[in-house]
Amino acid sequence: MRIDSLRLQLLRWLLLPLAGLVAVNVFTSWRQASATADLVTDRTLDASVRAIAEDVRIDRGVIDAIVPPVALEMFDTGHRDRVFYRVDTAAGRLLTGYPDLPLPEPPPKASAPVHFTGSYRGNDLRLAALSYPLVGATDGERVTVVVGVTLAGHAAMVRELWVGNFGQQLILLVAAGVLVIIGLGRGLAPLMRLREAVMEKGRDDLSPLPDHAVQSELRPLVAALNTYMGRVAGQMAAQRRFVANAAHQLRTPLALLSTQVAFARRTGEAAERAEALAGAEESTRRLARLASQLLTLSRAEPGSRRPRDEDIDLAQSARQVLEGLAHLAVERDIDLGLDVNAAAVTRGDGAMMREAVVNLVENALRYTPKGGTVTVTVDGGAGEAGSEAVLVVEDSGPGIPLEERDKVFERFYRVLGTPGEGSGIGLSIVREVVDGAGGTLVLGTAAAGGLRVEMRLPGV
Amino acid sequence: MRLLLVEDNHELADWLAKILRRDNFVVDVLNDGEAADQALSLETYDLVILDLGLPRMGGMQLLKRLRSRANAVPVIILTANASLDGRVAGLDEGADDYLAKPFDIAELEARIRVQLRRSARRPDPVITCGTLAFDTNTRLFRLGPEPLALTPREHAVLEALLIKAGQTVSKAQLSQSIFGLDDLADPSAIEIYVHRLRKKLEGSDVRIVTLRGLGYLLQHAH
Repeated sequence: MRIDSLRLQLLRWLLLPLAGLVAVNVFTSWRQASATADLVTDRTLDASVRAIAEDVRIDRGVIDAIVPPVALEMFDTGHRDRVFYRVDTAAGRLLTGYPDLPLPEPPPKASAPVHFTGSYRGNDLRLAALSYPLVGATDGERVTVVVGVTLAGHAAMVRELWVGNFGQQLILLVAAGVLVIIGLGRGLAPLMRLREAVMEKGRDDLSPLPDHAVQSELRPLVAALNTYMGRVAGQMAAQRRFVANAAHQLRTPLALLSTQVAFARRTGEAAERAEALAGAEESTRRLARLASQLLTLSRAEPGSRRPRDEDIDLAQSARQVLEGLAHLAVERDIDLGLDVNAAAVTRGDGAMMREAVVNLVENALRYTPKGGTVTVTVDGGAGEAGSEAVLVVEDSGPGIPLEERDKVFERFYRVLGTPGEGSGIGLSIVREVVDGAGGTLVLGTAAAGGLRVEMRLPGV
Repeated sequence: MRLLLVEDNHELADWLAKILRRDNFVVDVLNDGEAADQALSLETYDLVILDLGLPRMGGMQLLKRLRSRANAVPVIILTANASLDGRVAGLDEGADDYLAKPFDIAELEARIRVQLRRSARRPDPVITCGTLAFDTNTRLFRLGPEPLALTPREHAVLEALLIKAGQTVSKAQLSQSIFGLDDLADPSAIEIYVHRLRKKLEGSDVRIVTLRGLGYLLQHAH
């Protein structure tokens, strides 16, 4: 069975072994009590047989075997024990007593008593037997005296000796349990306080917990908790910044859309209304693109999702992208081309890499005037160690002035004087993706005078 | 009434200007802070609509410079930053009003009217001179019970004269009120507009008097 409570677990680990020890202790103490009772009973039996034996005498050939009362009275301990005895000659003649009382096997020889157990008339007995020289005999004749006693007094003594001990042990066990519970309560109090500290914090409060109030064993836990909360707080802050930024970015196009609609509603001229509605349509299209770009950017941000790690064939990616954007090139009468000089393979997240290439090529197509050219070149070491996978996008557009080149990667930055279209997000997406793949991004001037974007990625 | 609209999103600026011109305002559009700063130190505007995120010179800096020249032209900030802090900072820097994008055109227009009324110290939205009345809310003239149909330029001249009814308005002042930055400011054209206006006002109790070498004056003839 699984026990989730730390208290119960500790209690179990402390009390179960303790109970085992107590059980062993109780068993041994019972054995000791039993041995003590045996000893006491045996002493009494010894005294009894001696007293009887010393009183058997032979006088003028007549053996006189009279059992002195004291030999039997010494067993009267208030437990109604019954006492049996017999006295025999060495030849086996019963002098007095109970003739079928068990005899020791083998019969006693020396003058020290022997002890044994037996049963008589349905009673368990403890017995002692003594071979003793017959007083007054001249030929060294001996008598054998056997005395047996029932076990009530013996059992009472064992009980008395053992129960007291058992009670002490039980009290010890209960006391240990109580002390363990109290100790655990006190020991766990900082942990409980820590739990309350975690629980009572406001939902938005991710500030670190103090670690001075907990035991040294718990400090690593608090530190880990704080590190984790720090990470969560960082991600939340980045998310909040992003959402705020995104909302900010959507406001101006929305204002434009609402202005166009307002104009369309007010103007009386059909031509003006048509123009305003066409503008509104275009604004809507651009807002949709902005929204999807924002989504892509949020996915490209570090920590926003688990990036895939796969081999990316840049030539293949570029081909896919160009096929997807061919309609745009045709629409704008732009010569869009792909040159693959050598196979270029890198590692990273393929979907995000294609997204980056889409943004580069889309940018190039957008800013290149009608009739211009956009060329994508893929180059690589063809699998050689340490080689780089390179993708270059060149256009014949206006390019980006030198002093602006650092800024265009900043989010939402737009080059001054560039007409309508762009959102200022495309190159940010590209940079996030290339950074994520461990590559570099260089802006330059193309042979045709436009922009040249070079993406260098670690080869495979 | 001549407004300056400073907004870096060209399209938004152009469409806003179209709507405001329909309201018979003379509207200049500029897309960056430096150009706007220059225009504001050379030209006379009745109101400025200012975006904050401008290239070359930010809207806040522009506002600071404007106020440091003791120019009290009403400024309405128009921005994508809708935060309370941004609002407070903008108003503290000397803006008269603050409107977050996206906004309702009707609200922008209402706020423009409020600022113009306030700067003219005219609580009454209807300005009159004799039977000539100009409703600053609808931005339309009436002569007696009839609406007075005017071209945008005629409207600009008559508005400038009516606001200063009984006072001389110089040709230069008129020129500032009616010609935008993109217009070829031709002082002799003013005489043509005045001439046309006189015709349209003929037979009423209002007339435009020429004061040679000084300018023009709108007068209630008893």
